[in-house]
Amino acid sequence: MVEFTAVPPAVPVLAVAALIPLLSRRVGHALGALVSAGVMAWSFLVPEGAYLDVAFLGFDAVLFNVDGFSRIMGIVFGLIGTAAVVYSYYSDAENVQTAYALSYVGTSLGAVFAGDWLTLVFFWELMAVTSTLLVWDYGGPAVRAGFRYALLHGIGGSLLIAGIVWHYAAVGTFLFGSLEGVDHAAGMAGTVPQILAALGIGVNVGFVGLHAWLPDTYPRPHIAASVFLCVFTTKTGVYGMYRAFPDGHVWIAYMGGAMAVFGASMALLQNDMRRLLSYHIQSQVGYMVAGVGIPAALATSGAFGHVYNHILYKSLLFMTVGAVIYRTGEESLKKVGGLAREMPVTALAFTVAALSISGFPGFNGFVSKGMVVEAAHKKHWDALWYLLLAGGVGTFMSFIKLGYYVFLHVPDSETESAGSRGPPGGPSTVPHIQEVLVLAAIALVGFFLLKKPLQKLAGVPDADAAYEPLTFYGTRGVVRGVTEAYAAVDRAAVALASATMAAARDPSRVKRYAPGGREEIGMDPEQGRAPMDTTIGTSILILTVVLTVALVVLLA
Amino acid sequence: MSDVPALLVALPILASVLALLVGQWRPRAAWAVAFLGTAVQVGAAGLLAARVLGGETVRYAVGDFAAPYGIELVVDGLSASVALLVAVVAFGVLLYSRVAGPREPAFHAQYLLLVAGLSGMSVTGDVFNLYVFLEITGLAAYALVASGESGRAAVGALKYLLIGTVGASLYLLGVGYAFIVTGTLNMADMAGTLGSEIAYTHPAVLTAFALVVTGLAVKSAVFPLHTWQPEAYASAPDGVSAFISALVSTVSAYAIARVIVSVFTVEFFRANPVAQDLVVGIAGLSVVAGSVLAVTQTEVKRMLAYSSVSQFGLVVAAFAIATERAVTGGTVHLIGHAVMKGGLFLAAGAVAAATGARYVSEYRGLASRRPFLAGAVAVLALAMVGVPPAVGFVGKWYIALAAVEAGWWFIAAVILSSTLLTLAYFARLVERMYFASAPTAAAGTADAVGATPDAAVADGSGETAEAERPGTPDRVTPGVVALVVAVAVLSVALGFAATDFAQLLRPTLPELLAP
Repeated sequence: MVEFTAVPPAVPVLAVAALIPLLSRRVGHALGALVSAGVMAWSFLVPEGAYLDVAFLGFDAVLFNVDGFSRIMGIVFGLIGTAAVVYSYYSDAENVQTAYALSYVGTSLGAVFAGDWLTLVFFWELMAVTSTLLVWDYGGPAVRAGFRYALLHGIGGSLLIAGIVWHYAAVGTFLFGSLEGVDHAAGMAGTVPQILAALGIGVNVGFVGLHAWLPDTYPRPHIAASVFLCVFTTKTGVYGMYRAFPDGHVWIAYMGGAMAVFGASMALLQNDMRRLLSYHIQSQVGYMVAGVGIPAALATSGAFGHVYNHILYKSLLFMTVGAVIYRTGEESLKKVGGLAREMPVTALAFTVAALSISGFPGFNGFVSKGMVVEAAHKKHWDALWYLLLAGGVGTFMSFIKLGYYVFLHVPDSETESAGSRGPPGGPSTVPHIQEVLVLAAIALVGFFLLKKPLQKLAGVPDADAAYEPLTFYGTRGVVRGVTEAYAAVDRAAVALASATMAAARDPSRVKRYAPGGREEIGMDPEQGRAPMDTTIGTSILILTVVLTVALVVLLA
Repeated sequence: MSDVPALLVALPILASVLALLVGQWRPRAAWAVAFLGTAVQVGAAGLLAARVLGGETVRYAVGDFAAPYGIELVVDGLSASVALLVAVVAFGVLLYSRVAGPREPAFHAQYLLLVAGLSGMSVTGDVFNLYVFLEITGLAAYALVASGESGRAAVGALKYLLIGTVGASLYLLGVGYAFIVTGTLNMADMAGTLGSEIAYTHPAVLTAFALVVTGLAVKSAVFPLHTWQPEAYASAPDGVSAFISALVSTVSAYAIARVIVSVFTVEFFRANPVAQDLVVGIAGLSVVAGSVLAVTQTEVKRMLAYSSVSQFGLVVAAFAIATERAVTGGTVHLIGHAVMKGGLFLAAGAVAAATGARYVSEYRGLASRRPFLAGAVAVLALAMVGVPPAVGFVGKWYIALAAVEAGWWFIAAVILSSTLLTLAYFARLVERMYFASAPTAAAGTADAVGATPDAAVADGSGETAEAERPGTPDRVTPGVVALVVAVAVLSVALGFAATDFAQLLRPTLPELLAP
């Protein structure tokens, strides 16, 4: 079994990513699919334990750590990597884009198989870089969205690094506490690192308020890129959240509940199909975050089960919606409709995925979502329980909306309930199934009651309406402000120096200039703006001032 | 073997004279002399480094006058690393200048003189001798900047000359104060006298510290004393700006480190915490201000110059924190920055020669026209941002960690914010190159693939002399592209070697930090 553990799975994936631009489209994509499938098998077979202990930058690091959690992440990443590469091939993605996508897959694998915080954050940052490249590759409006994405993830990554460094200062090692032979408790140590890590990881999982990048970025790139994006960043975030908070935390659980409701309600208001799905990522990740946050084995298992299930149905949803966009060239719900007859297979696949995401009995979402909801119920965190149920109603409603407008739209309406014939296959109890059926009924009735008002409500602004101008004007404001402040200080210093010298040379001139001379020193008359270059005289003046300040400070 | 330190200084001076003489007979032969000289320099410095990077210290008494009275050259792991860096960069840039010029014998003579001055600054163990080499370095650098024959280069060089001279004079004044109270100019001797015979809080010692550090800070272009630097770098010929940006400020920053750890020592900081606060504070300010100013630039070389202001702030901050990890990080970043920034200036020069592009906006679509150059620029830029595993990451990481360990939270925050700002200005460049389409002909400036080599004439800088620089090559040869790519690869490879390098520095540092 030695050969399984000799290299981390990230290495072959990254190597193939580097090769793809040199190969033909067919061979490149085949190789990409093959290596992803290989990773899946590999993650399945490799025995538990920590491998590849190395010294990285002079610190102990574990490059390949296998336990139950990283194994499931590896399997599901390999699975979706394979499916998404094949999808890329059939949706006419360029080789370069698939190469970016695979490098993104590779860095995500590196992050989830890391056995210490240093390696994790190393790949975490690389993930931000590779996913930004994947978005940028599409050009057009994706570029500016990519900038905002990169900026927010840069801030998130920096917060996480700060948390990790603080954690290191507290415990003296970067290794995860869950490893053998590491003598501190698993998770972040201390309050400040916990807050920093929660916020840093919170950017990746889309905490309410930090989520604006999600619906902003994911609808814009190529449809195959969306399939990749919907899987890796947020799920790695959930995994990181578990590593930071293995015993959960009540605030995180409630944040998860809030995300579930917020995401589902915002999704209900969208008309852009991929934007709607993006809000659902937030909503579904909310369930996982809630699962991580609830301190119970059932909840944690539910969270990771939901990661697995969610990746399956969410990539399926993005693929079906991508197929619709590919076929019609339209992104908006208002411009498509009645496609059930034209694209029956897509409609069927969509129905399956929609029922799964809604947690309908007999579909995979039912089990894992049910575990999280049940755990909240058992803990008697009733507010959280209601939040999660409300999120379920919103999910049902928005998928009825999506399916209705894309595939039916014409007056015959009751087809959607056909899926309800599926027998309960989950391990759950009868009341549990009743609960979900009630939710579905509420949602169905609610949707048709609210259909008219909802049509009017579309275009309700979210936080990104504030973010977009904020990043733009914020960056510009900083640049302008500094430039102008610098120029102003420069002007003031020069004016003061010249005035002093002039006054010393010829005191009578002071009177002449006193009312306020019109000449603006430091302005370049030709350019009409303050030049950034200080003159030689000013430079010497600044030098003198610095020296004087230094002497005064030191000798005082 | 113990004569090698002296050879590091004497050899380039001799070669310099020889290059000037041979050049009168046949101009191209001057390059060959310079080539041989720097090649031998690399060998000598490598030999020295191999011996010293294990903990041994090589001492050489100039003219056999014993140490406290005569001049002593002292080479330990720190100075050998810098001397080797000087030799290697000098060799690399010389290869570039064969294609890109300038090609006059005078240029090669000044170039070798600059190498002599920089090597001297690295190996000297005497504060006054350091001043002499500082002036040799300065004079050679002023002349090199002025060798671009545009008016802009002349003004840039004059500004550099005046401000640099004032800085060097302040340093000399500080040495004078220190000499008055200690009665010695030898670094080790002075360190022994300070603290034992003369209190660290003696006003003359404090004055000397302020003058010396301010003077050297001017030379390493720390904000707000950086004002000479952007114009000097931007107006100099491309090969020259690569060389001086990689080395002149670097060796001055090394001199600051040397003065802090070997002359005043960490005990001085313990006695005067406010002095440490002052240096770290100014350095932190420099990090942020330099990055912000770089964001506002439109000309690539000026942007790179302001980026140096920021990076040297980081290095000086590391040396002023003065723990073992901080000095390791400072040294790694000093060397890494020299490689990365030198490579970026070479690449900027090659891009300007190939397409005429000198402004960020003109880099649009470069990746499709010049894939290798654009790739090298992108790799170097990301290395500078600190994307792992490149060397820029390792240096920053060590410094950040040391700052946290020593309780300098302010510096840790500054490093994180400056990383974001660095990302901001380099992302702009990378985005232009890779994700913006190539310019249309209507843009009026540099054309796409079929651009005429002299497209630089219309680069809109308003300086008519811009394109008439002597030695601007007609074409970029594959050799130049290969050199730039090699530097980019090196900047990543060094990241892997940096951990081992830190191990090699280890024996040297505790001796310096806990005398």
